[in-house]
Amino acid sequence: MSTPLTARILEEHANASRALPPAGPTATRQRTAIAALTAGGLPTSRDENWKYANLRPLERLRFAPATPVQPQATDLPAAIPGFARYVFVDGAFAPALSARLDASAATVTPLSASDAGRTAATVPAPAPGAGADERFALLNEAFATDGAAIRVAAHPAEPVRLELVFVASADALSGASYPRVELQLESQAQLLLIERHVSGGPHASFVNSAVTLELGSGATLHHYRLQELAARAIVFDTLSAVVGRDACYRLHGINIGAQSARSTLAVRLTGERADLTLAVVALGEHQQVQDTYARVEHVAPRARTEQVFRGISAGRARVAFNGKIVVGREAHGTDSRQSLRGLLAGPEAEIDVRPQLEIYTDEVRCSHGATAGKLDENMLFYLRSRGLEPEVAQRLLKWAFLEDVVAKIEVAELRRQIEQRLARQVPEPFARGESA
Amino acid sequence: MSTARTPLLAINDLHVTVEGKQILNGLTLQVGAGEVHAIMGPNGSGKSTLAHVLAGRPGYEITAGTVSYEGRDLLALAPEERARQGVFLGFQYPVEIPGVNNVYLLKAAVNAVRQQRGLAEVDAFEFLGLVREKMKLMHIEDSFLSRGVNEGFSGGEKKRNEVLQMLVLEPRLAILDETDSGLDIDALKVVAAGVNSLRSPERTCLLVTHYQRLLEYVVPDIVHVLVRGRIARSGDRTLALELERRGYDWVSGQAA
Repeated sequence: MSTPLTARILEEHANASRALPPAGPTATRQRTAIAALTAGGLPTSRDENWKYANLRPLERLRFAPATPVQPQATDLPAAIPGFARYVFVDGAFAPALSARLDASAATVTPLSASDAGRTAATVPAPAPGAGADERFALLNEAFATDGAAIRVAAHPAEPVRLELVFVASADALSGASYPRVELQLESQAQLLLIERHVSGGPHASFVNSAVTLELGSGATLHHYRLQELAARAIVFDTLSAVVGRDACYRLHGINIGAQSARSTLAVRLTGERADLTLAVVALGEHQQVQDTYARVEHVAPRARTEQVFRGISAGRARVAFNGKIVVGREAHGTDSRQSLRGLLAGPEAEIDVRPQLEIYTDEVRCSHGATAGKLDENMLFYLRSRGLEPEVAQRLLKWAFLEDVVAKIEVAELRRQIEQRLARQVPEPFARGESA
Repeated sequence: MSTARTPLLAINDLHVTVEGKQILNGLTLQVGAGEVHAIMGPNGSGKSTLAHVLAGRPGYEITAGTVSYEGRDLLALAPEERARQGVFLGFQYPVEIPGVNNVYLLKAAVNAVRQQRGLAEVDAFEFLGLVREKMKLMHIEDSFLSRGVNEGFSGGEKKRNEVLQMLVLEPRLAILDETDSGLDIDALKVVAAGVNSLRSPERTCLLVTHYQRLLEYVVPDIVHVLVRGRIARSGDRTLALELERRGYDWVSGQAA
């Protein structure tokens, strides 16, 4: 599919790849990715799963990787006690800002360090029907020059604690940021992973991140993702996960920042009794676009999915969550639940929540609930009848609305930071210290 | 019964419509401080409307009449202002608010009243002690403390929680809207004990109820029968017993 956009991507790629050694796995993979991308093109708003995303900025972005501007350590979020930290600036590893892992059970290798650091298959074969969904991952694959290759081995006593901070330092006019994570959890491995995307300044950065995860049998991953980029940033992210037998994957996404954000989450439950919790909070204000597409595929029997979305849209923002669960022919005994709720906090705000179920077998238990609306008048009156000011009651209900997801963040310091960040957009009902 | 003093609550010729439909139709009622009045009546007579209008629920249009509370115009106050002035509504259908903790709400409610009176906020530790004491009286389990407001509560638990809130807030005027409905006899006794524990010369209670069953345990000073939006008959507690025997048709027929 040759369009002016793909032609420009191809040209920028040709220029950028001159700097790389011509041989070796990275170059080969980049070439494969750019060929696939050129053949398929990037998604357009005509593609079914992209109609809520804001794709217009692509026309004026540069795709070649930016030259990173090193941020000050003080510009980074406060460290989380007990977590090793790896910082990447515009996708490139920044050792000076990092605090390396001191755990024998895990290795973190910058992808640029050696081609050998890369795992064999970093782009999983696209799931049937995924179509245009994962093409931004190809764009990342084609341009990313660095990233984190993480391998975690079984360690029954203690989970590995790891924080990845991706800083966007450049303006989209000068280049793009390509965060990249390739993560492999071996059988019985345990990992607490914090992945956060921040800005090194008020730039209108273009960030296109790709994360691939593989959970071996019995592995456990608690994955906290925070998108808190600056107000003019444009971000696309693609996460592809494969969850094995008896493995447990808990994904908590908090999407607050950026002018326009699209998150594509594709999880395949390939092992029997795989257990997935996918919980996303998204806040939009002004003219922000927060769009999430989550596709969960039950391949193996007796796996479980809990999908939760809580979105608040204010101003003229658009907040969308499209949650699809596909139950394959072999996936009998599937237990899936979807609870998708959107809150309209202004007359011009937009909320789109869409649960979708495709079931190709019998004996499954699948439930879904989706609501979008304003704050409940009965709840508001109940709180006012107890003496609370209407504004306080509204704040309290907004917090309560998000509490479902936020309260489940088990890393206390991280939860505190998230609550503090949320409070900027959704003011807390009471000043700190006043509440029970 | 005090009639010489200004009544705590004086409702005069109150007319209320909901979505264009006339519900209260010239209701007049005076309630003195320290009194317990029961408002009885058939379904659709306007009992719950009266309770909600007094608490300030939006959606009711007051087309005529006045309500004065402690000598002030109650209808001019926002719902939260009424609460801060000591008006409490026990809901017939208490709302579930997941994510808002029970104790958190109780404390916010108490502090709202205290702020109004220029008092400092409650001490968290002492407050929890008070809540636990009242919980015991209302037979409410400890898990209540960590749960969301009415979240997953049974009908009976919700009603007991309403009375618990009332006991903690100590209102000057408590309006209980069918707090007895849907309760088994044991729960009814617990709720009645809660209401009785609050009876004092300073506190006034309006019991809105369909059945006289609750009135066996909370003995009212006066019983009013509401028919088609106005008081059709008032009397002492024997009126409730007579109603039980003869049915509402007896009064409805007379009022027609």
